Amino acid sequence: MFGAALSMSMFITLVMPSFNIFSVGSTALALDKQLTYGFNSGWNPDDMFLSGANKPLKVLLKQDPQTGAATEPVHAYVFPVNARFPSGILHPKVLGAGSDVLSVEQGKINEASEAQGAVFLVRHGEHEGASYPYIENATATRGWTADAVLHAAGDANTSHAGAGKTIFVREGCWWCHTLLPEQTQDFQYFGAPPYLGDFNGESPTAFGSDRKAPDLLHVGSRNSSKEWMMMHFFNPRLVQPHSIMPRFDYLWGKTDADGNKIDYAAWRKEFVQYRNGERITPPEVPNYRSDSEIRYLIDFVLNLK
Amino acid sequence: MTWRFDNPLRTLTSDEQNKTAMEVWEAESMGGIMENNNRLPQPVVYLLVLTIISAYLITFPLWGQRPTAAIYEEFVAAMDSPEVQALPNDAARMDYLLKQASESGSKYATPHINHPISMDDLRTIRPQIEALKAQGVVLDDYTVVGNKVVLANFEGNLRADGTQVRQQPWWDIGYTIDIFYVIYFCLAVLIVVKRLPPNSVQPRHGNERMLSDAEIAELSVHGQKRRVA
Amino acid sequence: MLMKYLFGKNEDIPPGTASIFFSFSAIVWFIIGTGLGSFNAAKLAYPDWVTGFEFFAFGKMRQVHVMAVIFGWISMAFAAAMMYITPALGNTKLWSEKLGLWSCMNWNIGLAVGLFTLWMGMTSGREYSDFIYPIDLILLFAVLIPVSLNVWMTIAKRRTQGIYTTNWFFAASLFMLMIVLLVGNLPEYFHLTGLTEAYLTWWNAHNILGLWITPVAAAIAYYTIPKITGNPLYSHRIGHLHFWSIVIFYSTPAAHHLMSAPLPEWLKSFASVEGVLILVPAIAFVSNILLTLQGKWNMFVENIEVRFTVTGVLLAIPLNMQGGFQQTRSINWYIHGTGWIVAHAHLALLGFSTFIEVAAVYYGLQVLMKRKLYSLALANFHFWMLLIGFSIYWIAMTIAGLIQGAGKIYEVPYIDIVIAEHPYMIARWFGGTLVFLGNCVWLYNMWMTAREGTPVPAGRMVHELAYER
Repeated sequence: MFGAALSMSMFITLVMPSFNIFSVGSTALALDKQLTYGFNSGWNPDDMFLSGANKPLKVLLKQDPQTGAATEPVHAYVFPVNARFPSGILHPKVLGAGSDVLSVEQGKINEASEAQGAVFLVRHGEHEGASYPYIENATATRGWTADAVLHAAGDANTSHAGAGKTIFVREGCWWCHTLLPEQTQDFQYFGAPPYLGDFNGESPTAFGSDRKAPDLLHVGSRNSSKEWMMMHFFNPRLVQPHSIMPRFDYLWGKTDADGNKIDYAAWRKEFVQYRNGERITPPEVPNYRSDSEIRYLIDFVLNLK
Repeated sequence: MTWRFDNPLRTLTSDEQNKTAMEVWEAESMGGIMENNNRLPQPVVYLLVLTIISAYLITFPLWGQRPTAAIYEEFVAAMDSPEVQALPNDAARMDYLLKQASESGSKYATPHINHPISMDDLRTIRPQIEALKAQGVVLDDYTVVGNKVVLANFEGNLRADGTQVRQQPWWDIGYTIDIFYVIYFCLAVLIVVKRLPPNSVQPRHGNERMLSDAEIAELSVHGQKRRVA
Repeated sequence: MLMKYLFGKNEDIPPGTASIFFSFSAIVWFIIGTGLGSFNAAKLAYPDWVTGFEFFAFGKMRQVHVMAVIFGWISMAFAAAMMYITPALGNTKLWSEKLGLWSCMNWNIGLAVGLFTLWMGMTSGREYSDFIYPIDLILLFAVLIPVSLNVWMTIAKRRTQGIYTTNWFFAASLFMLMIVLLVGNLPEYFHLTGLTEAYLTWWNAHNILGLWITPVAAAIAYYTIPKITGNPLYSHRIGHLHFWSIVIFYSTPAAHHLMSAPLPEWLKSFASVEGVLILVPAIAFVSNILLTLQGKWNMFVENIEVRFTVTGVLLAIPLNMQGGFQQTRSINWYIHGTGWIVAHAHLALLGFSTFIEVAAVYYGLQVLMKRKLYSLALANFHFWMLLIGFSIYWIAMTIAGLIQGAGKIYEVPYIDIVIAEHPYMIARWFGGTLVFLGNCVWLYNMWMTAREGTPVPAGRMVHELAYER
């Protein structure tokens, strides 16, 4: 009787909803998120210390990587050698009906290999009379290699949002910043809430449950200033005196963009002087290295459109 | 393990078995703890019934939705009319629209008050609402978020034509399962409880003691004997 | 001494040893957990308080506090209670003291390693299942299964005909926790993604509270109140109502934690109605315990264990009223994600369940060590520190949460909410610190009880001697 009661409850709460959730096709946003964040942003054997290793890069291509001819700007998702593919590539079923067929038949995602790296694009196509987003393996269909695409895009157009989500999870940003504007009335400021199909292939979703700070799902649309982000992460009180956010200055690492050692002690001392009114201007926030963790995190936040 | 069904609301077990069960109950000390056989007090029963009723009532979507596109539809339709245009400023125009809606008995009169909108905002979302109307979709499925009109993310029931209701439902299969589930629970607990000795019989305490293994092996509850290793 | 027992013969270990080790471990984890909580709360009030150390960042410490309290304090206190209550109710000894001691050691080591990795930032990113899955598996196989085996075998080898209510709950909750941890961590074992991952995260979180913490805490009250007051349990029948409504109703409303996520609406409807029906086990439990106290309410004032337990049971009333209605569509839209939910979680864990467990640990340690409490004054001090500290916390967070909810609905710029909440963040920190200090006093009191408490004469019960000098 006990077993029957528990099984009944598990049938209703686990088996029945899984039919609904599995039957939902991916939106274009879900494909974008998978390809941006890669396999898993939490702990996994490929990234034991959550340093953002083995993650894809999202680049904005303005020229054809093979011919160098200028093209319409397009986002490409570059998986360097040995970066793990997301669920949707490993198991196309995850993409949902329509998208999986198109991705395999037209996108040739089955031909992609982690050992050689790959470049993916998000495209839209027709299947049985309906339109679906799908993933195209540009390495197979167009011969684009990861290195060529990264070279063609350049560092300025390369986003480490995938590694940045790992940092977001590791640093516990989601304990205060939710990623879920509410459908029932919420700040109109935080933007539109997400749909069921926006999450296929994403793990962890990191919605957050205890909102002690603004929702970030669409933060990149509200504030796209890299300089503001830099000051805010280094010391939130520089741009918002009443903020209770912790400082993330340690994500800059030991040195700044020019290779000079960052003297945190001196910076903090000067900041205290500024706070006490003994200085007129706050100390300068150092520029971050292009491979620093703060770059990953800022890229992630700015990518949340 | 005999059952009897002639008086199910009193007991489902034979008097003989109830008698032996009560004997075990009175004889045995479980770590020095005694148990009575009282019924659930009647006020508490009413409280439970009230709980089940309010569980439904308060789960219906009473308040708290974002404004839907539908509530501004009549504003959009009326905002170009000569009477509205003749008014001196936007505030007066909005007042007029509100007044007109409430006087004409619009079913959105209350949402209009809960989700006030300025004429400027109305002009911003107007083309989007008109485009949706032209498509012939159900405007209640769309919500106004800032300056955009977007499809709501409620995953509601399916309509006959296969489209999905994008509103919180007043009834769906979840509620139906709940009804079935509550009945199933009540039946299960009723059966379990009525298999116990009826509450008119209360154990007499004071003679409980730790039983020997032989005594435990002799006693039976519901005809089940226990062998102590 | 520990080594001697761990590698000695089971028969040579005095009965109750495992429970004593579990009790002291639980108290130490309680101090660690509440200390971390107090430190975290200080950072919410004064973000620049300790700065410049990566590992003292709020985002790295918050989950350590939660996991230390749930799996260190609460669950270990449960294990301590099970290890002495289960055999006592079966008129027998614990099946294996040695296994109990081993599981206690594995638990302490496994939890310490788990919390350390969590603190390092090695997290699954899933609330309440933050531990990386190798740690989950270690805790499951080296801790939960041995503890369950011990309890189940003790019940199987009991020397009674019947099984008392408390032991139904113990046996069933251990089994249900096992299922919950196995199923709840499926997203990590098999890399399930998307809303399946989000939903299973909350299925796991909800059921840890609903099928482990709530029923086991209630089961302990079913033991302590009849045992210490000497009154018979009011009703065996209401015990059945309570048990079956926990299994049937409390296991289902997981989706109510995601009322604002795009889950299928029917699942939310179902979960939300079931969520209110959580009041059924709650009403059964509270009425059964309070009616058992008939004629012995003087002990609520006079006896420290009864006072702790009954306070916990009384706190279950606001707890379940809040929990039942906070999650419904009509109310959740206003308060979702606010500090009121935090207040509610602390009402469940620091109010209801902690007060009942504290009583179990006080009583168990005195019975098992056969010593009278070292100082009743310190125990009273501990009670009031916990109650006042918790109340300040709860009231402050409730107000903060309602401010936050109003700010959310009336579209106040977020920073204004932060400013408005500031005084309540200070109050929260103050309340939490009182709890932490009270616990330090408690550890001292129990340690001195072990060393210098007056021995209880054979044939007397500890609670009979409480006020004899």
